[in-house]
Amino acid sequence: MNDVFLPEIACLEKVRDETPDTKTFTLRFRDHPNGNGFHFLPGQFLELSVFGCGEAPFCIASSPTRPGTFETTVRRTGQLTDQLHKLANGDEVGIRGPFGNGFNVQAARGKDMLFVAGGIGLPPLRSLIWNVLDERDRFGKVTILYGARTPHDLVYKDELEEWKKRSDVELLVTVDVAEHDWTGNVGVVPILFQKVTLHPESTLAYVCGPPIMIRFVVRDLLNRGFKEESVISTLERMMQCGIGKCNHCAIGHRYVCRDGPVFNYREIAELVE
Amino acid sequence: MIPVPTACPFCACGCGFYLLANQGGLVGVAPSETHPVSLGSLCARGWSAHEAALWGNRLKQPRVNRNGKLQPVSWDEALDHVAGRIKELIDAAKPVGVLGSARATNEENYLAGKLARAGLQTNNLDFSYHSICGPLLKGLEDVCGEQTPSLSLNDIESSQMILLVEGDLATTHPRAASAVMAAVEKGAQLITIAHTATQMSRLASLLLPAIPGKEGEVIDGLLAAVLNLGLEDRAAVEARCEGYDALRRDLEGAKLTAEMRQAAQWVAQATRATFLIPPVSGEGNPSRKEAAAFATLAAVTGHLGKPGSGLLPLLARSNVRGACDMGIAPDRLPGYRPLDDQDAQQRLQDLWGKKLPSSPGLDAENIVQSVSALIVLADDPPSDLPMGHRAMAALEKIDYLVTLDAFLTPTALMADVVLPIASFAETEGTVTSMEGRVQRLHTAVDSPGEARPGWQVLAELCARFDLCTGYHAASDVLSEVGRATPKYARAGQSEDKWGGIGTAKASNDGKFRLFVAEAPRQAPAEGAHVLVRDGTFDWGRDPLVSFSPTLCRDYQSQRKLFPNGFVEMCKQDADGVGVHPGRPVKLTSVYGNAVVPLRVRTDLKPGLLLVPFAFRDHLANVLGTHSVTAVKVEQA
Amino acid sequence: MVYTLAREGTTRWLDKLLEAGEVIAPVRGPCGDVIFSALRSPAQVVWDFENPLPPPKQFVLPQTDPLVKIKLHGQRHEVEPIYDDAPRTLFNVRSCDVKGIAFLTRMHEAEPADASYLRRAHNLTLISLACTTPCPAGFCTCTDSGPFLSAGYDVQLTDLGGSFLVEVGSEKGEAAIARAPDLFQKASEDAVTQRQGLEAAAKTHFGPETCHFGSAMRRVSTGRVQDALWEKMTDWCLECGGCNMVCPTCYCFSVKDLPQDGAWVRCRMWDSCQYTAFTLEASGHNPRANRKERMKRRFFHKVSAQYYTRDSTVGCVGCGRCVKTCLGSTHMPAVVAAIRKGKWHE
Repeated sequence: MNDVFLPEIACLEKVRDETPDTKTFTLRFRDHPNGNGFHFLPGQFLELSVFGCGEAPFCIASSPTRPGTFETTVRRTGQLTDQLHKLANGDEVGIRGPFGNGFNVQAARGKDMLFVAGGIGLPPLRSLIWNVLDERDRFGKVTILYGARTPHDLVYKDELEEWKKRSDVELLVTVDVAEHDWTGNVGVVPILFQKVTLHPESTLAYVCGPPIMIRFVVRDLLNRGFKEESVISTLERMMQCGIGKCNHCAIGHRYVCRDGPVFNYREIAELVE
Repeated sequence: MIPVPTACPFCACGCGFYLLANQGGLVGVAPSETHPVSLGSLCARGWSAHEAALWGNRLKQPRVNRNGKLQPVSWDEALDHVAGRIKELIDAAKPVGVLGSARATNEENYLAGKLARAGLQTNNLDFSYHSICGPLLKGLEDVCGEQTPSLSLNDIESSQMILLVEGDLATTHPRAASAVMAAVEKGAQLITIAHTATQMSRLASLLLPAIPGKEGEVIDGLLAAVLNLGLEDRAAVEARCEGYDALRRDLEGAKLTAEMRQAAQWVAQATRATFLIPPVSGEGNPSRKEAAAFATLAAVTGHLGKPGSGLLPLLARSNVRGACDMGIAPDRLPGYRPLDDQDAQQRLQDLWGKKLPSSPGLDAENIVQSVSALIVLADDPPSDLPMGHRAMAALEKIDYLVTLDAFLTPTALMADVVLPIASFAETEGTVTSMEGRVQRLHTAVDSPGEARPGWQVLAELCARFDLCTGYHAASDVLSEVGRATPKYARAGQSEDKWGGIGTAKASNDGKFRLFVAEAPRQAPAEGAHVLVRDGTFDWGRDPLVSFSPTLCRDYQSQRKLFPNGFVEMCKQDADGVGVHPGRPVKLTSVYGNAVVPLRVRTDLKPGLLLVPFAFRDHLANVLGTHSVTAVKVEQA
Repeated sequence: MVYTLAREGTTRWLDKLLEAGEVIAPVRGPCGDVIFSALRSPAQVVWDFENPLPPPKQFVLPQTDPLVKIKLHGQRHEVEPIYDDAPRTLFNVRSCDVKGIAFLTRMHEAEPADASYLRRAHNLTLISLACTTPCPAGFCTCTDSGPFLSAGYDVQLTDLGGSFLVEVGSEKGEAAIARAPDLFQKASEDAVTQRQGLEAAAKTHFGPETCHFGSAMRRVSTGRVQDALWEKMTDWCLECGGCNMVCPTCYCFSVKDLPQDGAWVRCRMWDSCQYTAFTLEASGHNPRANRKERMKRRFFHKVSAQYYTRDSTVGCVGCGRCVKTCLGSTHMPAVVAAIRKGKWHE
């Protein structure tokens, strides 16, 4: 019987600024530096404790194909994230998890993978993207469509460059409002659909971002012939325990922390509010 | 876990419950079926009553400001420092003051009053919330004299008619709202005088709309309707009322509507009727007159002094009534007697062994702006005073600020001397509900650190000013209170298993003096806008809420979402000025202007703009020191 | 195994149980309320009362429940679980409360299991007294949780007059009997027959207007309850959360770290889905910002077929506590009746 409320101590190994209010933290367990026993699926999340502040859920942004360390990308929105942003290399945090159902990577083998992300919606998908890229020959076409409000708001700027250069990945990036020397696409994420060829029958679409973006993208995909089961997203709710007991994240009789956060559109449509 | 019975520290309904504690500290709360007010229920605040004491930022160590830093000191050092410095300032003829509190016990408030009057020889004595409820209480006093009107919540439940001047009863006084609901379920007519759609107004049989500050117009209308239709209780008027003819004259020309006539019928014809009134938004004098007119309505319809009927002032906090009864006001003595009441004065002088200062002192707003030394007992002027943030600035200028509190409030942060006292869960003492029921607190856990019961600390300060103390328990203080005012002579005796007792009622044969509200009769100009500061009590800043993890969530989130506050208006007004919800709008009055985000409410009438009490600071320039003002609204 | 216990024997049995650990029983306090409290002596146990309003769930799930201690040594944090595996006996509880605790145990056993809860539950023995005279507010027959239980108890007592019938239902029950074996005789057939008769008689006390969970369940599960009805009902709710606090099967909680002498104690605290901020997200978005959405949520959790299928029981034990504590008038029987009729207060 594990004490599911007991956090493991992890140390900050690297902190990278993504945007003025977003950072990526690379973490390593203090007492298990090799990450032994810490197995997770892309799409799962952690309950991260900033001691003295509290605990909050954050998705794992790194891939399980790269064990030892793990990463999470966090935007500063409140007291806890404020405090987290003030931490430096070597500082300790608490980790519980991994929680949630994660993406079904097995079922995706052989499929074409379409990733559509907006703003801070890219981190949960990044875990799966790197998993796919690290096992590239097990998957079909990989298309990534990503957008943010301005060029400054794009996360993983270096990796975007890396993905752009790869011949086995099609990456298109757009911004709502161009700034400075932006020469790329301008417009909301759905405009990128016109620039790619999609095969709905053999593609799984992963969509993550602001609710309004998700709404338009999903409508677009369904209109193009995607089946509801092939359109996959992550849901967000206030969470506390992460283990389906405190009831904060319950939607109908489903718990976002345990039955999700990954749901396909058929499942989302069936959720009883 | 041992259940310890105690009284609820939040609103003034006077509920009780058990605090549960084990060796680790407070654990939770259990309801009581035998408690005469609670009867097995509690509101959300009651259910989390243990949280602030357990989770809050507690003051644990006496501290004194030395060279700009608060240093931990022993109790004796701290108390000697306070007595020494204040004596210095008094000798130098500097003004000093004391603030009591609606959240302190009767014993604590009484000793604070004794310290101020007999020790510091000043009547600069008040409590912040008094500036809000004072006009209401004075208005009721104008009609009822010494006899504070009262009504039990159980009587409300069996009323046939409830007339409610509505702030937001379901939020401010859930237990009273529960009684109203029970009455309505049994068929009672609920009439609300309100300016917004609240839960109570949705349950009402009749809504009488009123602009905040102008409820008096409606009340005068009801009075006129009663008289017009010959519905007054002739016997009661003849036997108990004074000034009837003048009343008739003053009401000539009052505007009557069909709704008012209907309401008047229900009010007059009910055998058992309930009249509920909170402190209303509006300036001091009009508020006082509105309250007097409201009591007049109850008097002429024969419902004052009649068993089963009555009027209840909806005081916000647990011990407002107690603080008033302890005389925590610049012009009042214990028993809420006027300062110039010779008998009361003599009784105190005999009891305390000192001559008392005779001229009225400053009220809370003026105290914080004028004194050189201030002792604050569990009060937080910036949170409770209408002047809000300006009180912060004023407190900073005070030479010597001493705080007695259990919690680190904004006021405590600025103190020169911090005296940590016990929270409600850690002390013996009494509080007096709005019904006039005196209830006991019991100690459930020890105070953290060096914190001591407030009455003990105040007794020590009194001793340093040569006042007799020698109290061994809080009950000794209560006995003395009973000698200071006959109202509390029986407070030490228990009337029921919960140890509560009603305050002594003055003789029931005084006359009721009748008044109209005299609200200005002119209608506001077409298209004019009026900004009103909502008078509903802001629980969000109270330490018992802000330090409770469960209770503070909603309030904190509103402040976070609206860091610049907001003003509310109807869609028509927003469209009229061409500003979208969430966008900033500029308001200008004769006092100044401010820019705040706009929020649309569907239940506001055109022309009425509302700012919640919590956000009054953002509109301080526009409102000045007032609660209602005409404004011009335009794009920012 | 079925035994009888002479009435006078309960005192000696309690003495033995007290030797083995904490014994909690209904005790009348100075203010007149009967509340489950730890016994100092068997004489404190009260027998003639209605079920205490505060439910016994606080002995497996305290309102403030310390889970983990986090200490800081310099820059290094150390984490240790807080154990509470003290042996406890709950004596003279009612059938509804036995069912309530069994429900909570099933919830916390579900993967991933909650070790903190289970430590308490596994060390708790329930000795219950079947209700021969059901309480006025209760409706346990609607939820299959009384007045007598056929299974799921450790020890079930039935008052036969001069003695108790003692039905043992588990190993923990056996262990409790074994504390004072000489007090228990094998029950006669007459005694068992008497008990059956008492159960049949007890069931007749429930009036014809019982709770009709079935039809309410159908409507709630298929979204056939009008929004307008929820809206109307919420006007009669004062959001006190009392229904959640006194309910033996409610267990919603929040988790917060309590600073204590330089360390932190991570505590679980009772919470209520009826509070506005229960689903409030850090972004400020609240998926259940309206009271009607929250009330709808509560009754979906308690009464829906989806939950019934998941939990093999409806989320109610018919104890009637919510009826007593509701500040408004939206307790379980009233809301279930309204859902069934499609009307409120008409």
